[in-house]
Amino acid sequence: MTATSAPARPRPAAARPSAAWPAWRLLRLELRRSPMPWTFPLLAALFAFDPYRTAMGYPAVWTIRASVLPNKLLPDFVVFVVAIAAWAGSRDGRRRTLDLVEITPRPRWAGQLAAWAATTIWAIAAFLAGTAVLYAVTATQATWGGPPWWPVIVSCAELAALAALGFTAGALWPGRFTAPLAAVATFLLSLEGFRNAVGRSSAYAVLSPTTYVPGNDAGVFYRYPPDVAIDQLMFLAGLAVVALGVLGLARSSGAGAGLRRGAAVAAAAGLAAAATAVGLAGTARQALPGTGRPPSATSPLGMQAAWVIPALHDAASDRPLPYIPVCQTVAAVPVCIHPAFRVFLPDVTAALGPVLREIAGLPGAPARAGQAASGSLVPRSGQVLVDWTPEGEISGTPPVFSYTADQVPARSFGESRRAFVTGLQAALVAAFVPAGVGQPATGAPAVPGRRTVPAVAARVAMQEALLMAAGVPLGTQRYQGLIQVQLPRAAQAQADAAAQRFAALPAATRHAWLARHLAALRAGQLTLARLP
Amino acid sequence: MTTTGLRAPAPGGPAAPAAPSLRWPALRMTSLFLASRRVPAALAALALLGLVMRAALYWHWNLGSTGSAAQAVPLLIEAGAGAVIAVSTYSPFGEPERATGRWLPWLRLGTAVALTAAALGALAAGAAAAGLAWGTLGLLRNVAGLAGLGLLTAAVTGGLLAWIGPLGYLMVAEIGLTAGWGTPLLWPGRPPANMPGALCAGLVFAAGIAVTTVRGARDSPSE
Repeated sequence: MTATSAPARPRPAAARPSAAWPAWRLLRLELRRSPMPWTFPLLAALFAFDPYRTAMGYPAVWTIRASVLPNKLLPDFVVFVVAIAAWAGSRDGRRRTLDLVEITPRPRWAGQLAAWAATTIWAIAAFLAGTAVLYAVTATQATWGGPPWWPVIVSCAELAALAALGFTAGALWPGRFTAPLAAVATFLLSLEGFRNAVGRSSAYAVLSPTTYVPGNDAGVFYRYPPDVAIDQLMFLAGLAVVALGVLGLARSSGAGAGLRRGAAVAAAAGLAAAATAVGLAGTARQALPGTGRPPSATSPLGMQAAWVIPALHDAASDRPLPYIPVCQTVAAVPVCIHPAFRVFLPDVTAALGPVLREIAGLPGAPARAGQAASGSLVPRSGQVLVDWTPEGEISGTPPVFSYTADQVPARSFGESRRAFVTGLQAALVAAFVPAGVGQPATGAPAVPGRRTVPAVAARVAMQEALLMAAGVPLGTQRYQGLIQVQLPRAAQAQADAAAQRFAALPAATRHAWLARHLAALRAGQLTLARLP
Repeated sequence: MTTTGLRAPAPGGPAAPAAPSLRWPALRMTSLFLASRRVPAALAALALLGLVMRAALYWHWNLGSTGSAAQAVPLLIEAGAGAVIAVSTYSPFGEPERATGRWLPWLRLGTAVALTAAALGALAAGAAAAGLAWGTLGLLRNVAGLAGLGLLTAAVTGGLLAWIGPLGYLMVAEIGLTAGWGTPLLWPGRPPANMPGALCAGLVFAAGIAVTTVRGARDSPSE
């Protein structure tokens, strides 16, 4: 047997790596090479100083705490994610290694996607770490409900979209100035989105995840509608796919004809998703939860009302969420609060107690006090309702005093406990003895007509007197603007004097006088001269 | 025959190539230096930022007309200018240039100062008669401070990553402006006539210029 005739040894089958393995290896390499982790110390410092600090100044209610994620934490990431993605995208062009990487077996697009994914993964990991800290601390403080996930999902989608846009910019224009200019442009867009969202320039402004802070009780009485979050997710995901598709269509992507077709289809699908989201945003409208009522000039909380998009709206969001109120009896009146605001019950009882004791047993005095959803109270003519005092109204049989949690003490809003207490007292007093003057839409003090001044002055004097009896001096009432009726100067001086006289009377005398004259006072039949 | 004796061309041999005519060697060196730092592109970027400043003030892109809200967008554009100046310090030649460039420190100094002046000019032109909060004096202070910060960052991270300094400072300053932090290290939050703030910005600029002149941007092999 010669070597010629010897049977050839069969070639051992090479262990072919699975298709997923090189992709994972590529991603792992890019994860190791990404400069994103170098920004983590600065991002951690920014998180501690801004989003975390702000969130801890909010009431421990899940929805409002979670609003920090898109409003504070996300903007801190914008500059770094875009700049580093642009930096990573411009790498081959900057180093003039395009010719080298284009001859590799895998299309360059695959490598670019891996680099984009690495930047996105690091950014999202850092974002989720901040979210975890925030949610963990909130979990130890919140007394009701659970963490909302839509803000987290939308924020992660924005990070992915920003990284895609930055990466594509870097790959298409691989210059040294691309990274900073892309970061500046994107941050400018982010600021503009925020400005338009807060300023309500148009319905399209709802596309900006960074927006205003929701009301204190958002997501408490009614589910916070996810309509806008779904629309934003569609828009941001569409943008990301468009950017990555454009990357695949570029000459430097090294993609073959089939892959280019795939990139074109992806870009078109992304564009369709983004365009659909823009179209849906145009149909967005504000509605007060559970009422379907749009905010109006007489609705003090219109600014913070949630947006709904009819095509995405789930009617289940309008049904009230079940809860068992937490109550404490003060002056024989049960004072209740939503369990999410349980920690504020002592403040509420401290506020309402003195006034309830003063008016106990009088006609129209509340038999119960309970918290209502923001915006659900319709101001009646004559109520003292301004946007810096809590809403309140007395209604029903037996009468129930309903108040809102708009101004619960919160450091981030500059709301002190003292202001909350006096504001709540003013709301109860105003609901008990309405001044009889309509509140202007602007929030400016109500001005009575010339003919009604004497009757209004008597009711204003009674409001002042009841507040003084509850321990709120006249000076504090003026300073905090608790009485929102602007009387002529002379009438105001007379009302102040009458209020001081009435407040100086013994409690039993005050009570007896009110029992006899309250109906006439409310009907506008009494003037200052008739007050004791 | 060895090469030892070949000190001069042999008589009758081929003539040495004629040296290129250098009638304006300093000018040529300067133009090459500026080209290596992409100064024309930097000037274009600064002009673009000036236009953005104009547009922002004309169309009221600011978050508000007073206080910290009026500072947000101008400060962003000023930080962009600082980042452009910082990134322009990157040299593609590294050590060979250091070894041979006798005039290199002066060229670095001149370029950094000239780009800062160009940034100030572009942004001031963009903000002219458009109601920039705190006026040209505030602009001068902010641009100088941010450029100095960028130049200092370039000495640490290398030229291409030097944008991290001004943009990182921007984020801290935006938070500080909103929260009302009073430290002079956050000079954008202080009125332009405030001496501690101006002093901080001036010191940072002087330090950045000094470091750039003496050392230049760090040569990072990863770039």
